[in-house]
Amino acid sequence: MQPVGIEMLNVFGGSAYLDVDQLASHRGLDKTRFDNLLMKEKSVALPYEDPVSLGVNAAKPIIDALSDSEKDRIEMLITCTESSFDFGKSMSSYMHDYLGLNRNCRLFEIKSACYSGTTGLQMGINFVLSQVSPGAKALVIATDISRFLVAEGGGVLSEGWSFAEPSSGAGAAAMLVSDRPYVFQIDVGANGYYGFEVMDTCRPVADSEAGDSDLSLLSYLDCLEQSFTEYQKRVPGADYLESFSYLAFHTPFGGMIKGAHRTMMRKMRKAKPDIIEVDFEERVFPGLVYCQRVGNIMGATTALSLASTIENGTFDTPRRIGCFSYGSGCCSEFFSGVVTLESQQHIRDFGITEKLNQRYQLSMDEYDALIEKSATVRFGTRNVTLDTTFISEARESVNMPRLFLKEIKEYHRLYEWVQ
Amino acid sequence: MEKESIFLVVKDAIADVLPDVDTEAVSIEQNLKSLGANSIDRTEIVMSSMEKLGIKLPLVSFGGVENIEDMVDVMVDAYR
Repeated sequence: MQPVGIEMLNVFGGSAYLDVDQLASHRGLDKTRFDNLLMKEKSVALPYEDPVSLGVNAAKPIIDALSDSEKDRIEMLITCTESSFDFGKSMSSYMHDYLGLNRNCRLFEIKSACYSGTTGLQMGINFVLSQVSPGAKALVIATDISRFLVAEGGGVLSEGWSFAEPSSGAGAAAMLVSDRPYVFQIDVGANGYYGFEVMDTCRPVADSEAGDSDLSLLSYLDCLEQSFTEYQKRVPGADYLESFSYLAFHTPFGGMIKGAHRTMMRKMRKAKPDIIEVDFEERVFPGLVYCQRVGNIMGATTALSLASTIENGTFDTPRRIGCFSYGSGCCSEFFSGVVTLESQQHIRDFGITEKLNQRYQLSMDEYDALIEKSATVRFGTRNVTLDTTFISEARESVNMPRLFLKEIKEYHRLYEWVQ
Repeated sequence: MEKESIFLVVKDAIADVLPDVDTEAVSIEQNLKSLGANSIDRTEIVMSSMEKLGIKLPLVSFGGVENIEDMVDVMVDAYR
């Protein structure tokens, strides 16, 4: 079978971040055992950042690394998101324009909560495997923001939801999918998927969200076990401990992944707590490094964890990584692929860590002002010119050309490149 | 199995996950949050109880539970 997978992978973790410990204190959250949640920082979208600008900023370094002829082979641009600002027009149309791609290209957008990025990746893989257009590539951009407050009122769907604020981030992951899987060679057919209807977390209104965090955790754990069990059916002999050098999880927050991994190690291997602790540090923690800095970026989080694993793991010999993706509502998938030392070099060439280090740290006052200011670009905004003087330090923070939202004119979004 | 016996098993699970809690003083009407359990602890208590009882239910069956009694009732139903 021909190779397929991710040729290039890049992450953009925004221009500004917040220390979540400070946020928890500021909000008066119960901080007993807060450390166990394993949260550190979260990226915050500025009013002049939206899912399009974040997505383009993640994809641009990939496009710049391609020759013109390679770039012209991108025949599918899939945006994966739960943060779109239009029910009809696909954000792929904007990204296609600002990335300067070939017009013989399918442009569309898909939704499936935090599972969207994996959905897009799998669609790209199947497009390449189908060989209907030999040599063609798919550009998959998962991009999400959490610029909103919790839906007001309500009972079960808002209880305990206050912890969503410290965990929700903003950012994007771009994956170039092709028959040259330099970064992540997919194990073809090794997919365990599992989905059913559950009302755990959702975005039932335009600028807000609602959720039952307990139910979401329970559903996540059910899905992890069931999707891995299905993976095992398709990959005879697959073993949760032995088959994967690393595990990259969709990570709403680190503590949840630690709990999920502990559960799997107990169920699948009857492992003791000390063994589980060591195994978590070795196989799971490398994927948590970026997640702890960016927060949950919904559809892009599984790819964020995969990038983090490749950046922070050891690949002196090719290693297999198991990935688990979960999207509320719900659908989930366990899949895998192989990473080499060359893959790690490809990831490091993009300098993701350096760019995260360069983000501007928001004070709590700035963050509160930012939430208020974000109302100027709420869903359905028809006309507005963005205030470029607002927290202008963030516009100068990350050392790369970045796209920012400049204006909304009769609903049409106009962006500008800032060096 | 009787509700009371299942409650005893759940108290055992609470003791495993929250060693600082005096389970003798825990009543069935209490909720786990009031004992200091976060969402991960609460899930651990559900899973540990099921393991001790030898029952297998989808975890989402426990989605609507508001206190220990609700949780016990879901497990009682599993025996019927």
